[in-house]
This record gives sequence, structure tokens and C-alpha cells, in this order.
Amino acid sequence: MLRLIAWRLAAFVPTMIAASMVLFLAVNVVPGSAAKAALGIDATAQAIARFEHQHGLDRPLHVQYLDWLGRVVKGDFGVSFQNHVPVGPEVLSRLPITLELAALAFLIANLIALPLGAIAAFYHQRKPDTIITFGSTVLGAIPNFWLATLLILVFTLTLRWLPSGGFTPLFEDPARNLLKMAMPAVSLGVVSSALLLRIMRTAMIEVLSSDYIRTAFAKGATRNVVLWRHALRNALIPFLTVGAVEFGFLFGGVVIIEDIFLLPGIGSLVLVGIINRDYPVLLSSTLVITFVVLTANMLVDIAASLIDPRQVHAKAAT
Amino acid sequence: MSAAAPSRHITWSRWRLLAIGGALVSLVLIAAAFAEFVAPFSPYDLDVASMLQGPSAAHWLGTDEIGRDVLSRAIFAARISVEVALVAVGVGLLGGTVIGIAAGYFGGLLDQALMRFMELLFSFPAILLAIILMASLGTNILNAMVAIGIIFIPGFSRLARAATNDVLRHQYIDAARTIGMTDARILWREVLPNVMTPLLVEATVAFAYAVLLESALSFLGLGAQPPEPSWGNMLNTGRGFMAQAPWLSIVPGMAMFIAVLGFNLLGDGLRDALDPHLRET
Amino acid sequence: MTAALAAADVRPHRLNHRPATLSIDRVSVEIAMRRGKARVVDDVTLEVWPSEIVGLIGESGSGKTLTALSVLGLLPRRARIASGQIRLNGDSLADKSDADRRRLRGDRMAFIPQDALRALNPVLRVDRQVGEPLKIHRGTAWSRAKARAVDLLGSVHIASPEQRAREYPHQYSGGMQQRAMIAMGLALDPELLVADEPTTALDVTVQAQVLRLLREIRDTHGTAILLITHDLGVVATTCDWVYVMYAGAVLESGPVARLFRSPQHPYTQALLRATPTVRTVQAELVSIPGQIPLPFDLPQGCRFADRCPKRFARCAEPPPLFEAAPGHVSRCWLAEAGHG
Repeated sequence: MLRLIAWRLAAFVPTMIAASMVLFLAVNVVPGSAAKAALGIDATAQAIARFEHQHGLDRPLHVQYLDWLGRVVKGDFGVSFQNHVPVGPEVLSRLPITLELAALAFLIANLIALPLGAIAAFYHQRKPDTIITFGSTVLGAIPNFWLATLLILVFTLTLRWLPSGGFTPLFEDPARNLLKMAMPAVSLGVVSSALLLRIMRTAMIEVLSSDYIRTAFAKGATRNVVLWRHALRNALIPFLTVGAVEFGFLFGGVVIIEDIFLLPGIGSLVLVGIINRDYPVLLSSTLVITFVVLTANMLVDIAASLIDPRQVHAKAAT
Repeated sequence: MSAAAPSRHITWSRWRLLAIGGALVSLVLIAAAFAEFVAPFSPYDLDVASMLQGPSAAHWLGTDEIGRDVLSRAIFAARISVEVALVAVGVGLLGGTVIGIAAGYFGGLLDQALMRFMELLFSFPAILLAIILMASLGTNILNAMVAIGIIFIPGFSRLARAATNDVLRHQYIDAARTIGMTDARILWREVLPNVMTPLLVEATVAFAYAVLLESALSFLGLGAQPPEPSWGNMLNTGRGFMAQAPWLSIVPGMAMFIAVLGFNLLGDGLRDALDPHLRET
Repeated sequence: MTAALAAADVRPHRLNHRPATLSIDRVSVEIAMRRGKARVVDDVTLEVWPSEIVGLIGESGSGKTLTALSVLGLLPRRARIASGQIRLNGDSLADKSDADRRRLRGDRMAFIPQDALRALNPVLRVDRQVGEPLKIHRGTAWSRAKARAVDLLGSVHIASPEQRAREYPHQYSGGMQQRAMIAMGLALDPELLVADEPTTALDVTVQAQVLRLLREIRDTHGTAILLITHDLGVVATTCDWVYVMYAGAVLESGPVARLFRSPQHPYTQALLRATPTVRTVQAELVSIPGQIPLPFDLPQGCRFADRCPKRFARCAEPPPLFEAAPGHVSRCWLAEAGHG
């Protein structure tokens, strides 16, 4: 079991390094764009050269990358082009907000996807399945930023139940925090549930056709016992394995949702970075989001193997 | 023991998805192709006298903050969405197919390296990657097409590789080699036709996702730039007038929803109709 | 029905004035298919009495497994009992509600499947699975159900059951997995065990041990056992009574010793002519020319006629059961000739 976890952790490091390389390259695809962006298009060649020298942008790309990576590992995320403030503390202070939003959204998505996916599978190709599957396709086709807009239209402007945005720290006032997080989390979670529901349904159909489910029925188990005691845990193994890969899709939504609801998280920092062409901000915020996504992928993957005793014991034996 | 359902039910449920999806997609495609003829007004003509007017006989879906006809703008916006999606899916399809088939056909280290890299790209939040690419390429609609297209490459390549491996397992490839067919010829004559079906299904679904991403980028101000109408930037502008003119937020969202739902249903329908084995995957 | 009445006389386990533990009375099972309904079990009548091991032998596709599943109410979704009655201790199962039938499963009748590894839930420990019938039917606390599971595992001869009970199915050998399934079936001391090819997946020595265990259960608990198999060797060593199934119908039945000594139906005769070392239906049928008819286009008369070496004009009519000896019946016109 420990070997299994150690193995996943060891694989995480090269993945993260490769990811940082992709981000660094993506930002620097067009040479010289950073300086032009920071100084404006009518900057003189001299000014650009000075700026590039000042920020070390005139060095070869791989040197820049290694230098940047070395500093990031030590916790130094660089200084903003825009206001010359260190980026690291800014990113870290925004991280909890984004994590809370993503966690709540993921919770909502799973609360919808798991039971409905299981029920659809149980009634495979019968009426409840058709209704649930079609319903989730419709739900999944709603752009999350439109759903967010509609929620504001209904719950803020019409019913006046919920604030339209802003943020209250969780530990300052938990109730107010949740009140403000409700609409962002719902817009992100509900739309994401469609994809998870499909994965759950497919996994569950497979499980329900297996011999041990027949055994459970042969023992006299009721429908509910079969579904939740015998089938769910088995279906969770493929569900988590496939779901982990899709997690990135779900997480992408934070950029746009944080913008709509004025949540000062990392997603909105990405936008600040891109609108100001502030490359240190952009690079740091996307790197942290990537780190969170890849960590979540890894944890979900470990969880999937931990609930499968065959994997746990197989690795322990070797 | 796994007897099939009565045939009438199966054909109807297949046909149903294709029919609904096809109808919605036709709506979007017709709007995109014939916007000049379908739209009652020009999408740019402003009429300050009749700004922020609700739906009426003259303006079915109302007017926006500078008096432009919302229906006409939504129709012309379909054109941008479809254009972006077409190019993006094309880029993804071409890049992904070439990489996937190469990885599957030649195998070994090339396969390992390419697929590890694709896996990595796949776990990135797609929109994040698009945003970063837009940042370095510059924010305009052409770059949005390229950025979205690049995002699709991993998905297509994974599919193409799996399908290629599947084809290669069959005996007739060995037979083709023994009668002296070259790699290129085998790829073109044997592998490519067999890979097309799953790729076509994926392309349809990717089309939906491309529409969504283009709208998201335009919503954030990174895609289509005003006064060019796009569902994304229409919705973003509309949010500023939510209290006085809710139709400005509802119409572009509805248009996105119709396009995304249409392409998703069409994809599901195609999958069921073309390959029953893919039904549950 | 005369055959069944006569059979009673030679069935040593029959208790006077008490019904059979299991009585399958003229049961037909149909599957809804694209081309219409396929009658995969046709008018099968079969009885199992207390302390009796009854073999139901046939090749794959003969309908023997569906017959077994129909008893437990575990037929696949598109299959259903089209006609006939199944009775447990004289009570018709069709008269009961779904909930009542569920209460019988795992309590008064238990099922032992072919592939024990697949039949055990991979993510639950063995003690939980073996003890679960107590939880379901008696509401026993998990701790006590698991303790009882240890006893049950011991009773099916699993060594160091306390320790083994805490393991997962994949840590067991094939034979142990099947023993665990049997222990699960025995949890509430059912009157009827339905075992569907319980030894097919096992190697020969383990097979013998599992069969010995079934006989032991019959002897100590007086359980009635319906044993589905395609292996004549299993029938010969284990069963008291045998039914031979072909293309959905019972062609011959009777006491095992008598049926093996003088088989009446040409199909049974062909089976028994196999070399004594490979006495399985699957291996044998290679030597009988032709194929089993599909359930859509069954022949009008005897369904074995196409492949029968002794076919004659009469075979175009469907033969009834003829009694060759007390309890020994055969669905063949030749038996009529032999009789009269």
C-alpha cells in the first residue's frame, strides 16, 4: 500500500516539471512579446532592450526556464511587471478561495452524479435511464457562465435572496461565506455533474452485469442493498480512475466563474495577469492551478486504488 | 442471454437523438451560412432612439444598449462560432490524427513519448491552456481558433492511437505487409478508413466544446472583439444591463445552449447509429 | 404425471404425505428476442426431495442454467416463465409477491454459481459476504454475522478460518472460493441448494473435494440439492437421480444407477458411449453429428431426431414420456415400442 502511494508520488514530480515546461513555453511562444506587452506597442527598441535585460529576458530560453523553475521551487514566484509586488504571497492568499470554490463545486457535482448515475444504470435502457441521461445531456449543454448569469438574474435581481458576488473569508463568517459561495459553486458544479454522471452510469452498468451482483440478489438482498453495498464501491474504482482525468475540465471553470462573482481567487488573478500582460502573475497563477489540478488527479487516483483491495494487496505482495 | 431490446425501441431511441440533434445543428448552421438573408437587420446598425427595448414586433428579441437588433446579432454571432469551431476542430483533428496514428503505428519510444505528453496536456484545464496561448499569441479571433484547436489535439490523438492499435491487431495488416504494401500505403488504405468513425463522433462533440470555449474566451474579452457580435461578448455586455434588459443575457446564452446541446446530441446519435459497440463508452 | 407418481415409489428420500422440496411442474421459459420469443425451456418437470442430490445434465444452450435461475427468480431481464408452476415445499412461488420471493432467496433456498471468483464481491471481505444472509434475513448485527461466518468457513473445511475470514476473495485459491460460496449458501441452513456447475472451473482433485462436501452437506443437513452439470462423471459419483436435458426439454430421467446401466434415449446412449475418462457432454457431442436446434426453429417432432442414429418415421411426432422402469422415463418412441 505504501509502495503504491510512493510510486504515485514519484511519478508526480516529472509530470509537474513537464507541466511547468509547457506553461513556460506557452507564455513565451512569441519572443519579445512580454516586453512589448508591458511597455506598450509603441515602445522604442532601446526601451525594450533595457526592459528585457532588466528582467533577464535576453538570455536563452532554457536558461530563463531553469532560473525561473529554481526560484519557484524555493518559493520565489517573481515580481509583478505591473506594480513590482512579489507575486508569491498574492497567489498564496488567493489559493484558499479557489480551493473552497472547487471543493464545493466538486461536492455538488458528485452529489448529483453518483446517485443519478447509479439509478440510470440500474434502469438501463428503461424509462428512468432515458430521462436521467437526456436530462444530464441538457444540463451539461448549459454554459456555466450563462447559468451563473441566470442565477444572478433569478436569485439576486428578482428574488433578492443572494448577494451577486464578493467574498467573505470562511473563518470570519461561515454562513455569509457559504451564502456568497452558493451561486458560484452551483454554476460550476451542476454543469460539471453531467460528465461525471455519464462516467458513473457507464461504470455502474458494467458492475451491475457482473456475477457478484447476481450473488447478492441470490442471497435475498434488496435493491438498495445491492446498489449501495455491493455495486457502488466497485463502480467507484473505474469512476474515480476516469473521473480523475476529467478533473482538469471541471477546474477550468474557476477562471470565468470567479470573474463573474467577483471572487478574489486565483482564477481571477489569471485574468488580471492576461489583461495587464503581466507575465510573472500569469505564469505563477496558472502554475498553481495546474499544481492543484495535478495533485487532485493524483489523490483521486490513489483513492481509486485504495478502495480496490486487489490493487492494494497485489502491490504489497511484490 | 443478453437478448436485445425490441427493435422498434432501439431504432426510435437512436433516431430520436439524431433527429433532435440534427434539427438544432441545422438551425445553427443555417443561421451561420445565410446570416445576411435570415437576419432581419444588420448586426451593426445602431438606432439610439430604440435602445434597450424589449421584444416587440419589429425587434423580436429586443434591442441592445445602443439599439442594435439582438436577434440579428445572435444570428451573425452563429457565423463566428461556427467558423471558429470549424477551424479549431480541423486543427485538432489533423494534428491529433497524425500524432495518434504515428504513435500507434510506429509504437516504441515515439509512442511512449508522444502519449505521455498528450496525457499531460489532457489533464490541463483546457480553458486555462487556451487563455495562456491567447496571451502569447495575442487576443483576436484567429488566435482563438488556433488555441482551441491545440487543446483538441490530445483527445483526438488518444482516439486515433487506440483505433490504430485496434486495426493493427487484425490479421489483414500482416497480410498487407507480406504482399509488400508500404507503411504509407497501409496507413492510407487500411488504417485511416477504420479510424474515421470514432474520430467523426469525437469531432462532433468537440464542435460543441469549441463553441463553448469560443464563447467563454469572447465572454472574457479574449476572443471576438466588439463590435463583431459573438454570443460570448453579447452575454458579457448584457450582464451590465441585467436589471433593465434581461433579454440581453438570456438570448445569447440560449443560442449557445442550442448549439452545444445540438452538437452533443448529434454526437451521441452518430455514435449509437454508426457503432453500437461504442454505445456505453 | 403418471411418471412422477411412479417415480415416488423408488425415491428413497421421499417422506410420506409431504411435498417435494422443489417441484418444477411443466415450466417453460421464454426470452424476448428481436425475431420474437424463443422458448429456451420447454415444459420441464423435475422434482428434488429432501436429502437428495438431483443432477440436471445437458450441454451449454440446453436450458439447464435457465431452469435453475427460474427457480431462484434470477432470470435475466428479457427472460420470463411463460407457463408452469415452481413449488418450494408445496408452496407455489408464482403466488407470492416479489418481496416474499426475495425473503426465500438466501434463506430457504440458496444458489451456488459456476465461477466462484466472479461470484464473490472483490471489494468486500469474505466474512462479510458469507455472513450477509444473516444480516439480510435475520437482522443479525454485523459483528455476530461475521463470527458466524468464521464457523461456516470452518464447516466447509477452510483451514484457520478466523484468519482467512478477514481476507478478500482474490487471496483465496479456486477451491476455497467455491467453499466460501457454499458456506454462504449454508448460512441459514436452507432446504434447497441449487448449484450451477459448481466444479467446472476447478481442477480434478479440488473438484472431488467440493463434490464430497456437497454429499456431506446432504448427509448432515438433509438438504435437497439440484446439481446442474455437463459432466457425466459428476452425476455418476454424486447424484441420486438425474434429468437429461436437450434443446430445452428433458429427454430422459431416472435413478442414476439404473439410467447409467440401461439408458433408454438414443441421446443418453450416445453420451454414455463416450470414453470413460472424458465423460463430459461437451467433449462427447463432437462425436454426435449435427447441431443442437436453435430455440426459434425447433423441429415439430422429437428435437433430437435430426442427429439421431435410430430415427424412424414416428419421430416426426413429438414423443411423450414413456416409462421404461419404475421412475425411469424416456421421451422417445422407441421406449413405447420396447414397452408394448
